[in-house]
Amino acid sequence: MTSGKTLTLGNAPFVFDKRTTSSLMWGVSLSLLPAIAWGFFCFGAPAAIIVCTSILGALVGEAASSALRRRFTLWDGSAFLTGLLVGMAMPPDISPFIPAVAALFATVVVKGAFGGLGTNWMNPALAGIAFALVNWPTEMSRWTLPNRLSDVISVSGATPMGVARTQGGGLAALTSSATDSSVTTALNQGLFSRLGAQLPGGYVDLALGNKSGALGELSGILILAASIVLLARKVIRWEIPASIVVSFALLTWAFGGLVIGDGFFSGDVLFAIFSGSFLLVAFFMAPDPVTSPSSRLGMILYGMGIGTITFLFRAFGSRSEGTAFAVLLMDCSVPAISRLDAAMSRWRASRTPAPNGIDARGRSRAR
Amino acid sequence: MKPSRTFRHGGIRVEIGCDWEQKKTVQNAFLPNGAVILLKQHTGRQARCVVRRGEYVREGMVIGRADGPLSANVHASIPGIVRDIRVTALPEGGQAEAVVIALEGSFDRLGRREERYLWSSMGCNEILATIRDKGVVDTEEPGLPLFDILSEKKDIELLFVNAIESEPYLKAEACLLRDKGEEVMDGVAILRKVLSPKRTILASSGERPENLPLAREGAPAEEAEIEYFDLEPIYPQDMPRQLLEAVSGQKQGDALFIRPSTAYAVHEAVVHGKPMVERYVSIAGGALKRPEVLKARIGTPIGDLIEECGGFLGPPARLVLRGALRGHSVHDLDVPVTKTTSAVIALDSEEVGFLWRSPCIRCGRCAKACPERLDPDMLFRLVERGLTSRALGLGLGSCTACGACSYICPARVPLVAAFSAELRTLADAIGDGDSSGGDQGRIR
Repeated sequence: MTSGKTLTLGNAPFVFDKRTTSSLMWGVSLSLLPAIAWGFFCFGAPAAIIVCTSILGALVGEAASSALRRRFTLWDGSAFLTGLLVGMAMPPDISPFIPAVAALFATVVVKGAFGGLGTNWMNPALAGIAFALVNWPTEMSRWTLPNRLSDVISVSGATPMGVARTQGGGLAALTSSATDSSVTTALNQGLFSRLGAQLPGGYVDLALGNKSGALGELSGILILAASIVLLARKVIRWEIPASIVVSFALLTWAFGGLVIGDGFFSGDVLFAIFSGSFLLVAFFMAPDPVTSPSSRLGMILYGMGIGTITFLFRAFGSRSEGTAFAVLLMDCSVPAISRLDAAMSRWRASRTPAPNGIDARGRSRAR
Repeated sequence: MKPSRTFRHGGIRVEIGCDWEQKKTVQNAFLPNGAVILLKQHTGRQARCVVRRGEYVREGMVIGRADGPLSANVHASIPGIVRDIRVTALPEGGQAEAVVIALEGSFDRLGRREERYLWSSMGCNEILATIRDKGVVDTEEPGLPLFDILSEKKDIELLFVNAIESEPYLKAEACLLRDKGEEVMDGVAILRKVLSPKRTILASSGERPENLPLAREGAPAEEAEIEYFDLEPIYPQDMPRQLLEAVSGQKQGDALFIRPSTAYAVHEAVVHGKPMVERYVSIAGGALKRPEVLKARIGTPIGDLIEECGGFLGPPARLVLRGALRGHSVHDLDVPVTKTTSAVIALDSEEVGFLWRSPCIRCGRCAKACPERLDPDMLFRLVERGLTSRALGLGLGSCTACGACSYICPARVPLVAAFSAELRTLADAIGDGDSSGGDQGRIR
């Protein structure tokens, strides 16, 4: 063995967890592929073009703003994910120009201008979506039914939520597909009859994605499956999605019925959760660690805020959808929540004696 | 058997570096041709050199005398001629003198019948004097001399023998307990005589108590009082507060925590009159051909040990002493084994992994991993901006520099490096001249 060979020095620790920021980001993008594939399957090539231009817009924006900061951050996966999420929230026959501009706005103005990944205070993808909603309100609410639901290509058709809002009938106003009726019948005979319950028609279409809607948000089941994988692998934290879903479901159940003229505790929770962008936002956008609190208490407060505001927007807002704005509003409250966290940890630190002999005021403990 | 337990908050499961096992009995490493014996292998001042260049030293002879409190005697680990006495850099920082001995002459102990003293007839002071004389120090960094610990502590609540290796790559303590269980427990019994603790606990992980030397047939009565705990090897399951919390749910207590290797050194010193001249060292890491635990003489260059394990598979990315999570990296193979060198780890580039720092995305993994319930992300931001007093208000003072936050960080933010640098500056500012200031954590 030759001695005197020089090796690199470093600080402890010398080994690390295999996960890096970019592997987490790419993992989230990967898990969304089935939901997007379902959108492509339903709406064909135009949907693919929309998602691709959106991703392209995000990457161009990231490249430009990272070049200005003299840092190369294109492959950390965050811009790709932003573009993907913006694309997924688009109606299927929108001009590809709109998602591209929205994604560009997201990466340049919302993220790049504040210093890039980690320093933005607003969720870039949701800000991009909100940008599109505000600038192109009519284009952003022109929906078509999936090809498979109609014989003619590109029949316009309102989203289930829009129908529920305008006609006040929930699922009753929608025609359900053959798949839906057969699955519903099978479920009712095999499972729900034993439990003394019955599933009305239409929910299976809603959950599987046989409906009109944004191209990446159709299939609640696929989004839920992806989020279960991510939760199990601890890529996303459970606190925010759980508190959003619980608070939103409770409010919908208690007061959702009032809006369409029914009494208390008659809201249609299942319908509310599986329609619109709720699941995608709750599981993939709201838990964005950059713009959400990091303590458990903070995350639960944040999630409850989102659930409550989403319910209010959906019940009383001028649009049928409100999740994006709910998250952006709660992003504004994160500094206040963080201050609460800091107060908590100061309190904790004042009660715990310092094991290495330096107390909270920087003095050595007497022996 | 009690079920596996652990501490309440934080901790990480380290998956890397746990895939090797030491099946056979630990072998003695080859004797080095030249030993470099540091005169500072303990916390206090370096030992006063009592040999001269060209002098012949016998095996086990005192070459450095303890100089003041928290200093310890240093002995020659091999017989030979003192070739040089020079100042060298210590892996943990700082400098100290080292005595270089070239192997020569005959062995006084090796291959001869061991002496045997009956410690049960010895008084406490006699035992303490032997422990001091033989240079026994705590085998964990920073190597607190055992005499100083023992003379300060009397009639403690709890003596905790911790055989858990919660850091990856380390196996020496578990191997020692397996191979030399009786000797270790004898050492514990000696310590119990000196300390008269109310409770004695032995903790390890994944061992079956019947394999442990707890309930031997015909064991003396005092041995039977040792409680056994099987603790989960979640990192950092070897720190005092975490261990105490795992076994009793309390955060503080009057306890002494020792390693089996320390107890073994006590046994060797008191029963066989043997100074602390060898120790068990794990030699591991992905860059090594055959990871192994070896019993090495103090002063053996780590390069010799690596060679004995078949050498490197490829160029190592990092050479680390004592542990991949809390150790020190060294840049050459001439660094000698000291009384606190529990491991030599040669990491390959795959194990070191991706080191490029990316922006923090506030994912909160560091706060989840922190065993002291701190928010490393916030502390780092404060320390980076020089707001130390605010960081201390948020509990920076309770940081034990375990490195769990840095291990888990997906953005590779150098969290613990910043904290330990800050704490070192603070400790220097507080305890100038009070060299015991930073060591309370170990003997608390």
